[in-house]
Amino acid sequence: MIAGIIRRIIAGIITVACVYTLTFVMVVSIPGNPFQSGTRNMPPEAEQALRARYNMDNNWVYFGEFLAGAARLDFGPTFTYSEWTCNQIIASALPVSVLIGFLAILVALMIGVPLGVFGAVRRGGWLDAASLALVLLGISLPTFVTGTALLTIFAVFLRILPVGGWGTLAHLPLPVLTLSLPFVAYIARLTRVGMLDVLGSDFIRTALAKGLSPRTVVWKHALKPALLPVLSYLGPAMAQAMTGSFVVEKVFGVPGIGQHFVNAALNRDPGLILSTVLVFAAMLVAFNLLIDLVYAWVDPRISGAV
Amino acid sequence: MFRRLLLVCTSLILASVSLFALTAKEPRADFTYVNPSGIHTLDPARMSWTQDFRVALNIWEGLTTWDPKTLSPIVGAAVFPPDISSDQLVYTFTIHENARWSNGDPVTARDFIRGWRRGMEPGTATDYTFLFTDHIAGAAEYVHWRNETVAILTATPVDRPTFHESVLTSHGGDLDDRFDEVGVKALDVRTLEVRLKRPCPYFLDLTAFPTFLPCHESIELLRERHHGLPITAQGLVVYDPQWTKPDYHRNDYPGLLTNGPFMLADWTFKRRARLRVNPYFRAADQIMCRTIDMLEYDNISASIMAYEAGDVDFLTDMSVPYDHELARLSLSGERPDFHSCVLSATYFLSFNCVSPEVGGRLNPFIDRRVRKAFTLAVDRERIVENVLKRGDAVAHSFVPPGAIPGYVPPGGLRRDVNEARRLLAEAGYAQGAGLGPIELLYVPSDERICQALARMWEEALGVRVELRSQESKTFAEEKAHQRFMIARGNWYADYNDPTTFLDCLGIGNGNNDSGYSNPKYDELLAAASVATDPSIRSELLRKAESILVEEDCPILPILHYSTTVAIKPYVKGLHTNARLWFPFRYVTVGRRDQRGSVLER
Amino acid sequence: MPSTKPSTKAWHITTASVIVLAGLLAASVGTLPLSHRWYNVQELGAAVRHPPSLRPVVPSERFAIGEGPRGLKPAARVAYHAVSWFGHDDLGRSLFYRLLPGFLVSMAIGLAAAAMAVAIGVTWGAAAALAGGRVDFIMMRVVDVLYGLPYILMVILLKVGLTRPLTILLGGHSRGTDLVILLLAIGGVSWLTMARVIRGQVLSLRSQPFVEAARACGAGAFHIFRRHLLPNLVGPIAVYATLVIPQAMLQESFLSYLGIGIQQPTPSLGRLAADGVQAVNTFVGYWWLIVFPCAVLVLTLLALNYIGDALRDAYDPKSKTVGLV
Repeated sequence: MIAGIIRRIIAGIITVACVYTLTFVMVVSIPGNPFQSGTRNMPPEAEQALRARYNMDNNWVYFGEFLAGAARLDFGPTFTYSEWTCNQIIASALPVSVLIGFLAILVALMIGVPLGVFGAVRRGGWLDAASLALVLLGISLPTFVTGTALLTIFAVFLRILPVGGWGTLAHLPLPVLTLSLPFVAYIARLTRVGMLDVLGSDFIRTALAKGLSPRTVVWKHALKPALLPVLSYLGPAMAQAMTGSFVVEKVFGVPGIGQHFVNAALNRDPGLILSTVLVFAAMLVAFNLLIDLVYAWVDPRISGAV
Repeated sequence: MFRRLLLVCTSLILASVSLFALTAKEPRADFTYVNPSGIHTLDPARMSWTQDFRVALNIWEGLTTWDPKTLSPIVGAAVFPPDISSDQLVYTFTIHENARWSNGDPVTARDFIRGWRRGMEPGTATDYTFLFTDHIAGAAEYVHWRNETVAILTATPVDRPTFHESVLTSHGGDLDDRFDEVGVKALDVRTLEVRLKRPCPYFLDLTAFPTFLPCHESIELLRERHHGLPITAQGLVVYDPQWTKPDYHRNDYPGLLTNGPFMLADWTFKRRARLRVNPYFRAADQIMCRTIDMLEYDNISASIMAYEAGDVDFLTDMSVPYDHELARLSLSGERPDFHSCVLSATYFLSFNCVSPEVGGRLNPFIDRRVRKAFTLAVDRERIVENVLKRGDAVAHSFVPPGAIPGYVPPGGLRRDVNEARRLLAEAGYAQGAGLGPIELLYVPSDERICQALARMWEEALGVRVELRSQESKTFAEEKAHQRFMIARGNWYADYNDPTTFLDCLGIGNGNNDSGYSNPKYDELLAAASVATDPSIRSELLRKAESILVEEDCPILPILHYSTTVAIKPYVKGLHTNARLWFPFRYVTVGRRDQRGSVLER
Repeated sequence: MPSTKPSTKAWHITTASVIVLAGLLAASVGTLPLSHRWYNVQELGAAVRHPPSLRPVVPSERFAIGEGPRGLKPAARVAYHAVSWFGHDDLGRSLFYRLLPGFLVSMAIGLAAAAMAVAIGVTWGAAAALAGGRVDFIMMRVVDVLYGLPYILMVILLKVGLTRPLTILLGGHSRGTDLVILLLAIGGVSWLTMARVIRGQVLSLRSQPFVEAARACGAGAFHIFRRHLLPNLVGPIAVYATLVIPQAMLQESFLSYLGIGIQQPTPSLGRLAADGVQAVNTFVGYWWLIVFPCAVLVLTLLALNYIGDALRDAYDPKSKTVGLV
């Protein structure tokens, strides 16, 4: 098992390295000057001086320098925000996104799991149809629509929550709720399918035959195996929720990391692009490994997979 | 099982929320405003955005500063007016005796020289070096010498370390001696003498500009050194970019020190900057707003909602898809807290005057008559009144009329479709025949103007116009490399003189994207730069501009931007002006209730 | 206890979804000659946001003489009157006639993404599974790596990077280029799940007796794939292709919201919904600019998702995957 984990970690590092290389190639091949800002053209001498200073006159030197820095967890400077290093930006933005993403996944679990269970137990009934409708609505509504709707209702009309920003507890509910909706949909769907699968199996029949009440069977015996597909989905979902909330961040003005994925690319800021990509890839790999470990712990049958 | 899951989720939520709630919250500042696009940099030598200028000029103070109503230079850190020699070439500034940095240190002439020198150094990478090289004696030579050596050092192969090292050492040794030849001298601790290349009637305007701000000597603690030399291996003078942070203490650096009415108390990335009154500022006790918060809202619409909800006292930027409604509310008087003003800025189109071919197609705009025809075919009133409806001013000249005292720009070309068709026919493209599709390059936010323009040209001249919108970085690169036929452009005045506009179409200017070159135009500008009589000077500039907008037409001025700002009625002491310069030291804020409604003080 | 018979309710909804999509498609194709005239040209004289009205409110300077409602056949007359049904946007353009071609553009993006997902995903997944061993390992690691790239960043980089080469390649027709780039960027990342699913399917099919038998008879790999595997893959391919369509449309709307999606004046459902949402304010209610585009977008996505869901239920009721998870 330990050997398996080590193998997985090495494979993960290789994946992250490939992601880095690929991104790097894209970054150096796209047009646009990372140093220019505003409408004024930068004097060529100034640009040359900056390129020399940041090792950018030779792409491969920059490639190596950045990687060496990243190995020491030092992602170097940004060009868009000259006073802030990539480390400072990530340290300021990542916790925000992690908090919102984490809460959104928890909320999604709390809503999605019962929804999926009811759907499976009452398969074909109105509850199933309603939960399916809710689920499909969840993946069909763009988050900027739901977010703006919530914002208008709670912040503009009812005035019980602030319009946007970050810093107090009142800033949390709207972004978390908005972000959780698509995840609610997926989790409910996975729970339903998993539950249907389990309810058809022999040990449930046996339990029912023994005379246990259906409620006990569903919530006590069937739920744990039925949640396994949800568990394996949580890995990518966590990484996605914690880094991919750019639309929600924009709607609510949350200073998270999602906006940097967009802005770094638009500003052609190589340091920031590479560091955000590395953070994303590392989180994805880490969460997948973590989920697999939990999986093996919950369901010892498949421990060989790790 | 489910209960357990629920319990785990709930406790995790509670735990993370309470952890978040534990972080201390500061009370609301006396005055709060929103800067939607955030601070790009607080390094005065490097900044080029209005919103950065606004913060910098509130926390630093130049030798002069601008009057918030008229934008003319007024007293700053030095006695006003300074001594000016009779040939208008030597300015002697005396710094106020009680001018102080935010730690109590006196402001010295050397602090100004240090700040200005950073603006000339290639390692600072400023957009505004030309403000020094164009005006101050010896600055151009110094910058040229620096650039040359840096180019040699960066080009030196790594396998010749001894050569590299010897160039570096001798260069580092010469550095201060060579800078002594630049015309800025500290005659004593408080007296600064500036020698100009040629008379500059707007020099006191320039000394209020952020590039001319002083710099406290503590920055030297953060200088990057290469083997004990004051320069880096590339020969650059570079400081740790984090010197503008109030809480940065590497090498015993005291944190950012400023000499203006306010000091930077706290700056969190993408969230907030808090300003506090500089207790050592000479008029500190007259400042009513003791704390100011600058908030960053990525989403302008949300910042307007926050203003309406009373969370914010002042909005400087309300460019939203419904901005014409805001302008209407402001101009009709329905919302007396909305103030519209026309900026000293011009939105124009650049014609590509140099490339015979663009993207494999014939570029007809190397012919002056075609440029003129396209100019004559445009109905600017319709764009301003029917398309944008923001109350922008129609532009017939590059320099906004009325923006610069003593200068009346030429009348420009009015719409004349028949003359346009005649000129086009004269150029050999009667009814647009022989013209391929004309390409109009712009950024997505210009969609409305550019569609209207395309339709005007199609209707008036019978040409086919192809719209090409590019996101801003790609746009900038395409434009700078002349890969366009017609491209949008805009220009904001940096100082109160026509040359802030006119210079950028001179031959070889880095911002001359049209590639326009007319020696006659440059001669007129050169003659104006040595003219001492103001009326002769402005007549020469006017002649130059009339070549620009009436004869050669390398650019097509369309409008002078109007903008709407929102100031809560209980905020007094803010005045709109053409450069959106807001000194916060004169602001008073009446009492407000929780929702921001007015309660008199 | 679970029944295996699909519920009639779900069936009704699926039928309704098909009808909605077909109706939208018919309406947008049918009015294309009209809407083309309306969607990208602003009325310079009357650039006003008009609320919805049953009669045309913007003067019809776009219609040549003789083409007015009088000389038209009844169907065309209805189409003419529909001009103001959904109101007008800030440039005086008919929202109705922007929504319909917008629907077509969105569907084109969705279909193109699905087509790319099928073309690349099936080839990649099947090739990996059939080749097996080291090749399979490397090919699937490539998919892993591409999964590890943040989607939004890739789309922006692709979009920016491809603009110049493609503009040159397409002879400078920038309008078309913009759309093609968006298709490539969205399609370029939509095939990954398909590749994984197909690989799994092929791996499990490969060990089935009928494939073993074919191999024993000396059939080549390509022959086996075409004659024995492909027919069995049609089900999952159809299911995933259907689910890629709404995903791609949703992603386009996100890009539009962030200002990097499809460029004006070309309409798309996402673009129109994003424009409407960005015009939300507390001063003037442009409710029609928000309600109609969002309603059409959600209706379309909902219908597509219902169809995809029904297809999956029919093909594999115990499927453990949802959408593009």
